[in-house]
Amino acid sequence: MPDFDQEGKGETQAWQPDLSAPAVLLEGVSKSYGRIFALSNITMALNGGVTGVLGMNGAGKSTMFKLLMGKLKPSQGKVRLFGTDPWKNPAPYARVGFVPEHEKMYDWMTAHQFVSTFARLNGLTRAEAMLEADRVLNFVGLADVAHKKIGQYSKGMRQRAKIAHALVNDPELIILDEPLQGCDPLARTTIMNVIRELGRMGRTVIVSSHILQEIERITEQIVILHNGRLLALGNLHAIREKLDQIPHRITIEADDAKALAKDVIDMDEVYGISFPDKKNLSIQTHNLGAIHAQLPAAIVNNGHRIHTIDNPDDDLASILGYLTSGGGL
Amino acid sequence: MEAKPNTIYRALDRKAAAITEFTMRQYRTKASTWVVLGVGLVAISLVLLIYVDVMSTGFESIDNDGDSEDPDGDGYPTGQENKYGTDPYMATSNPGLLRPSIEPEPASNYIDEDGFDISISGTASAQSTGYDDDGDCRESDRTNSQKDTNGNGIVCDIELRYNQYQGDWDVDADRYVDEDPDDAAYAAEASHMAFVLGIGKMGFVLLLGMFLPLFLATGLIREEMNDGTMHFMLAKPIARTEVFLYRILGYLGIVWPYFIAIGLLFALISGFIGPSDGFFRFQDLGVWLAIIFATMMASFVYGMLFCALGTMWRFGIVLAIPFAAWELGMCIVSMGAPEAAILRFSVIGWALMIVDAAAVIVWPNMELFILQGQTMEDFGLIWSTSNALNFFYSEPGVGGSGLVSAVFATVVLLVQGAVFWLVGGAIFKGKEIE
Repeated sequence: MPDFDQEGKGETQAWQPDLSAPAVLLEGVSKSYGRIFALSNITMALNGGVTGVLGMNGAGKSTMFKLLMGKLKPSQGKVRLFGTDPWKNPAPYARVGFVPEHEKMYDWMTAHQFVSTFARLNGLTRAEAMLEADRVLNFVGLADVAHKKIGQYSKGMRQRAKIAHALVNDPELIILDEPLQGCDPLARTTIMNVIRELGRMGRTVIVSSHILQEIERITEQIVILHNGRLLALGNLHAIREKLDQIPHRITIEADDAKALAKDVIDMDEVYGISFPDKKNLSIQTHNLGAIHAQLPAAIVNNGHRIHTIDNPDDDLASILGYLTSGGGL
Repeated sequence: MEAKPNTIYRALDRKAAAITEFTMRQYRTKASTWVVLGVGLVAISLVLLIYVDVMSTGFESIDNDGDSEDPDGDGYPTGQENKYGTDPYMATSNPGLLRPSIEPEPASNYIDEDGFDISISGTASAQSTGYDDDGDCRESDRTNSQKDTNGNGIVCDIELRYNQYQGDWDVDADRYVDEDPDDAAYAAEASHMAFVLGIGKMGFVLLLGMFLPLFLATGLIREEMNDGTMHFMLAKPIARTEVFLYRILGYLGIVWPYFIAIGLLFALISGFIGPSDGFFRFQDLGVWLAIIFATMMASFVYGMLFCALGTMWRFGIVLAIPFAAWELGMCIVSMGAPEAAILRFSVIGWALMIVDAAAVIVWPNMELFILQGQTMEDFGLIWSTSNALNFFYSEPGVGGSGLVSAVFATVVLLVQGAVFWLVGGAIFKGKEIE
């Protein structure tokens, strides 16, 4: 039934959030398409602070968010937003802001029109929505281009417009699906600052990414999803420590790989060296940071000419590989 | 939110107005909207052009009984010779030779000299009506059986017999009664009314009322789902049935003004061009308003339905097309058999009932007017225009007065729209959105 009061309280007029319930609660949640599980048996509760959801493409990050936003119905388990089932009742969205991953936006609108129009769906009147749009667009740093068409925006500006739209009505929970994807470095920094600021303001923020370094810069609390399963949940440092135990490789392309090897082999943290081919040197270590600290001096002092330095394992795929295989690369 | 009084305006200025305005603006930015509206206007204007052409060319009255001719060349038309009992085929026999001598009358006196004098009184199933204006039936040298060719015992009359199977009157006229009416006036009037009803029913209610929603409403929810932009709307505290309803309001905000504008344009043009004693046919406005209203109601119900079909399936338009074909069939059925029970299972049947109801109210003597044309079975112009009018005109099929039928049909259409809304909303509610 329509909400005749139009105040954005959702279907249940008298909806009251369950104050004892966490902002986000997933209990044994699975989502399957036929025989393929997009998410399987996820259980977690999140309340307060910034949480990074880390996973490769197809890990189930977006599926989890869509379950939280009532776009998908869980195949099994229980999804609760402030204690309410979002599939059945949109009322909790009054306290939630959502930034979908979809690229497509209403290019024919200005950011201000976009944000103020959708602000009215939160039950704001036209005048209130205008003021609110000014506020949130200023918050994400789009105030000076607020009256330009979204179609003329860069990728980073579009993402910020989406974030602004989610911040209307000062939500307690903000869910951002890949907000940094495709953004230039400047936009990335701005968006990260916005997210950190929201965390400082005491909001519950959930942000997903497939790039570890991005999440690292935003938060310490992370959730790692892989193939629809919850792989790790907790403080990044704790996970990192575990990750530091993983043998890492550093690959260096140098004019004289063998000569360079002689200067590197003496370092304490290096436990193995190999030559994939004539020009390349591969170093094995348990302590990536220490090697990276010593390497520049070793190269410069000994007059080596090098072309590239690469950490082929320092990406999410390797870490996930390590976590899933229970160690050993 | 601060505690300002929540007036209706303030209430509606939130979600409902936001999505409605948004949807209207979205339509305006799409080229496809303008193409659909433009094609609709062009298609319906072509019919208007034909009408304008017919009306401006006019109709030529013919001498249906041939008594304006002068076969013997003596200067006296047949009708005049008959009146004075001379032989129209013999030049040496003419009224000029009578004492006193009679001057020849112009031939035009014998064109359209015996117009329609038909009326229906009471409910008797057989009635005698008609009057032989020019006296050629009542000539004294004819026997009574010659004057009573329909054999109802009354000379020089027209017998109306009620045909209870077809629900209309059979016309049986004595020879030479009402046999030379004003073709031009009749054909113009009949063509005009047939045009108004025909374009109103088939052009407005069926073509515009159904094809606009087919192209504009089917994607109302579906396109947003496909594009992924539906996530923005559904991330807000708003029920999906509400989104469905307000999107439809936005769609109506585009098509209703369009129908009103085109409908009034047509009413003005046909009102000035159509046959009239004054400069404008004011009485037709009632029918035009009913046509506009019926089109609005039809587009409302179809919009709800097609939007629901689009929500249900990515290729909802495929589901909508068989339905459109059904409605086309029902439209034609309603012209021939407006009382057919099968029409109650259509949208168009109810929408056209509104037009029929208005026609009954605005043109109360329509039945008689069509009957007049039926007396002229042997002659082209009157008979064919009367037939066209008879095809497009039908009395509201549920009985009762025009007003009752119109109100009843409107209520049914509102209920249909509401049902399609609830069904569509329920489908939307159960849809997972990727």
